Amino acid sequence: MAIDTNTIRHLCELSKLDYDENGLEKVRDEMSDIIDLMDTIKSFDLTYDDTKDNNSIKFSETREDAALPSFPTEKLLANAENTDGCYVVPKVVE
Amino acid sequence: MSAYYPTMGLEVHAELLTNSKVFCTCSAEFGGAPNSRCCPVCSGLPGTLPVLNRRAVEYIIKAGYVMNCDISRFTKWDRKNYFYPDLPKAYQISQMPRPVCLAGTVNINVNGEEKVIRINRIHLEEDAGKLVHDDVNRISLADYNRCGIPLIEIVTEPDFHSADEVIAFMEKIRLLLQYAGICDCKMEQGSIRCDVNISIAPKGSDELGTRTEMKNLNSLKAIAKAIEIEIERQEEILDNGEKVIQQTRRFNEALGETTAMRSKEDAQDYRYFPDPDIPPIIFTEEELEAIRLSIPELPEQRVERYVSEYGINKKDADIIVGDKRICDFFDEAISEYNNPKAVANYVIGELMRRINLGEADMDNLRFGGREFAQLVEYMQTDKVSQANAKTILREMIENGGTPKEIADRGDLWIKEDNDLLAKTVDEIIANNPKAAEQYRGGDQKVFGFFMGQANKALKGAASPKAIQEYIRKKLSE
Amino acid sequence: MDITRAKIRELRKALDGKEIGAEELCGEYFKKIKVTDPKLLSYITVTEDKAKEMAAAAQKLIDEGKSSALTGIPLAIKDNICVEGVRTTCSSKMLENFVPPYNATVIEKLNAEGYVLLGKTSMDEFAMGGSNQTSAFAKTKNPYDTERVPGGSSGGSAAAVSASLAPAALGSDTGGSIRQPSAFCGVTGIKPTYGRVSRYGLVAFASSLDQIGPICSDARDCAVMLNAICGQDAHDATSARVGVPDFTAKLGQPVKGMKIAMPKEFFSDDIDNDVKAAVENAAKSLEAQGAELVECSIPGLKYAIPAYYLIACAEAASNLSRFDGIKYGFRGEGRTFEELIRDSRSKGFGEEVKRRILLGNYALSSGYFDAYYKKALALKQEIIKEYSEVFELADVILTPTAPTPAYKIGAQDNDPVKMYMADICTVTVNIATLPGISTTCGYTAEGLPIGMSIIGKRFDEQTILQCADAFEQGFEPVAPKL
Repeated sequence: MAIDTNTIRHLCELSKLDYDENGLEKVRDEMSDIIDLMDTIKSFDLTYDDTKDNNSIKFSETREDAALPSFPTEKLLANAENTDGCYVVPKVVE
Repeated sequence: MSAYYPTMGLEVHAELLTNSKVFCTCSAEFGGAPNSRCCPVCSGLPGTLPVLNRRAVEYIIKAGYVMNCDISRFTKWDRKNYFYPDLPKAYQISQMPRPVCLAGTVNINVNGEEKVIRINRIHLEEDAGKLVHDDVNRISLADYNRCGIPLIEIVTEPDFHSADEVIAFMEKIRLLLQYAGICDCKMEQGSIRCDVNISIAPKGSDELGTRTEMKNLNSLKAIAKAIEIEIERQEEILDNGEKVIQQTRRFNEALGETTAMRSKEDAQDYRYFPDPDIPPIIFTEEELEAIRLSIPELPEQRVERYVSEYGINKKDADIIVGDKRICDFFDEAISEYNNPKAVANYVIGELMRRINLGEADMDNLRFGGREFAQLVEYMQTDKVSQANAKTILREMIENGGTPKEIADRGDLWIKEDNDLLAKTVDEIIANNPKAAEQYRGGDQKVFGFFMGQANKALKGAASPKAIQEYIRKKLSE
Repeated sequence: MDITRAKIRELRKALDGKEIGAEELCGEYFKKIKVTDPKLLSYITVTEDKAKEMAAAAQKLIDEGKSSALTGIPLAIKDNICVEGVRTTCSSKMLENFVPPYNATVIEKLNAEGYVLLGKTSMDEFAMGGSNQTSAFAKTKNPYDTERVPGGSSGGSAAAVSASLAPAALGSDTGGSIRQPSAFCGVTGIKPTYGRVSRYGLVAFASSLDQIGPICSDARDCAVMLNAICGQDAHDATSARVGVPDFTAKLGQPVKGMKIAMPKEFFSDDIDNDVKAAVENAAKSLEAQGAELVECSIPGLKYAIPAYYLIACAEAASNLSRFDGIKYGFRGEGRTFEELIRDSRSKGFGEEVKRRILLGNYALSSGYFDAYYKKALALKQEIIKEYSEVFELADVILTPTAPTPAYKIGAQDNDPVKMYMADICTVTVNIATLPGISTTCGYTAEGLPIGMSIIGKRFDEQTILQCADAFEQGFEPVAPKL
């Protein structure tokens, strides 16, 4: 199997996703099959060189620094639980 | 004497003085009502995309030049992924393998000794929002106004071995960034922030100890204090035969202690990868050269100008250049009245004294260098007495106005009233026969006493020179 | 004649000639949607009230003689494209009640033309899938056989156009999501060159691959739609700084002398014989019109599926991290931030979306980044190189759009690997940032449409439109019987 339960737990932690025990086993098995498929790429032996990508732009094509009016706060918050113009977040534990 | 030798490296974050945010067109100004300087882009709405601000890139290149960095000809942006409620996209746009600036140096002077601090890299990233914690309701309130303010992160090599060196560096880069015009460096507003990595090792050891990272340092005082107590903490650990744990610690200024935030075991995996929304940039030599040439005069150049062109002594030049607001004020003043030494003396001796006393504030000054220069000129040309000049300056500080208006209004001009001078001095001498005798007997010290009495009585009606001459004449009779 | 079966350009004539009013026209579609869509479930949201207002405004323009190509034309929009004030769900419970406060750039452009919004079409959740069966709401069915999938992820858009529930629709294509459902539903869909159309307002799946494009009943309508939606956009730094031609300009020009390459890897044993035969027949028909067929090879195709899924899922894992229940979308329960976001994400996302997030984070995580993500980028560079070599010999490339025609609903359930492999014909076009169009080239014995794809050089949509159109002019399409 390509990945074990600990690895899948770690991935769930990174992804902020929870599964119950049965769900975790199921997704571990599915992910193992998927990663087996992904592993076929390992036999490709060229390496990546970011300077060869042709998606760069010129410095002059960046945005000019001009501030425009912002967006109405109520419209931004309309899809959120909010109070006093702020998003409401449960207590952050540190 | 401690048996350990501390080693420190810094990560300094500085907000750039652009008009708009780094990836959207919202204002980059400090403050504002919660979420009033926000748009779908900086609030992380689905479907929105970042568009890079040219001036932010220009400014980090300037930062690179003033810290003698290599500027990359090819640069790109990466996503740093982590979940936190002040980060609406759940990733911060930053730079990992290809920052704008690499390998630089900054010279510092610590207690008279010159030292070179190496810069590892400087990269451009976006700031996060702010959370206000409401402990009663067990909630936090998120305000994204600060989200997307452009930040540069300056990463140094571990070249510091004392808090003094760290402070000297912070003061130096504050000046460099201010003079380059790219950051206002207001620590109290968080526009410049510093994390310190600290480790200690037994003296003579070649290896570095395990380091901790100190966060939440909001003033130079806090930095110095935090370094001191963290070094003590680590010394105690090693003295007890224990090991320092690699972790991030938060400095609590009120309690004067540092507390652990997170340790390496739960170190975050940020999963950096190139941001597909932001194309990499290629700079031409001409573009970089144009930016380099647009950098204003830097602090060292100004000191040099003051010493060699104006004959101001190095110590005074350093004092003036040490605060960019004062330095700009000074330059404005000497453009009005070309007597740099006299202006410098009055800036340091009078204006800065009042600032230190808390009577004046450079950020809210009601007059400019020009008005100040006029006052100095009146003094130098015996139009206003020193005492009245002080009165005029106080009025300018409190209520603004030009020295001329204030002198007119308060009748503070020297009038060269010879009759009044003669009458007043004659009276003083007549009333103090003993002192007059002493002077005539060769005791020069009492001359000052007569000068003081005359100045006080005349209230600027005659120039010091005229008073001096008249007293000397009368006492020699 | 049933006006809902008309092409955009025929509707244009009817509207400008006052044969029908804009309100009446969209009303015809709504009538049909009410009758037919319960069988297909192509729409998630139908915007009848808004359409009436838009139609009235459009009619005013028409009456004043100020109409442009899409004034008064009713269109369906895939539900991952933000329309201000209209619920945009991405077929996810996560965004079930999300109402965007802003318009996507393509919507601004369509507004400027005076289009009429019929509604938002169903899709695979967050565009992740090829069947529309990962939708949390409307699991769309194929108009040719309602026991079969319409393809995906733009399955709702393709099914709506196929069943004449819209004359045209916008879809989005990350690895085939416009072309494959177009093939399954017997319509024509084009994925423009990456950067041709602004992505601003398209809820991102994989930012380096996503592209918005039209699904229409033929290539000519696709050209009309492209004329309206293409162009550089200040809100999208990846939108290309290239001129926008008139995409209808080369339509009708003969394909004589056009070199058409058919890479042998696209005609392997993994492709259904029916499909291969139909595409090869189409090639012969183009050859008969004077085109020249060229043999060639894209060896990188054998790594295309892992390369595509690693890049797409890595980007998706990051793009979908913003869905935490705080700012918008499904808000779960929890006493702390950590608990709340875990609950929101675990309950808000469907299983396929979660798998892809896990895969993406696997590819990006410390220790695996070089072996997976960077390797996939190396492969992207290789595939770009291989395509550019082919384009030194040929003007366009012809391939099947999918290895099979539309399959039965449920056939790929619980088998993600099989589902991923089915994207083999389309993903390299996204990886190589090329334009590709799918049009119907035949039908199976059961009457299911078979699609072929014509792939062009970067920013050469004109030539693939010309080629697809040349084929369509000699092809008799069969409408679904509903």
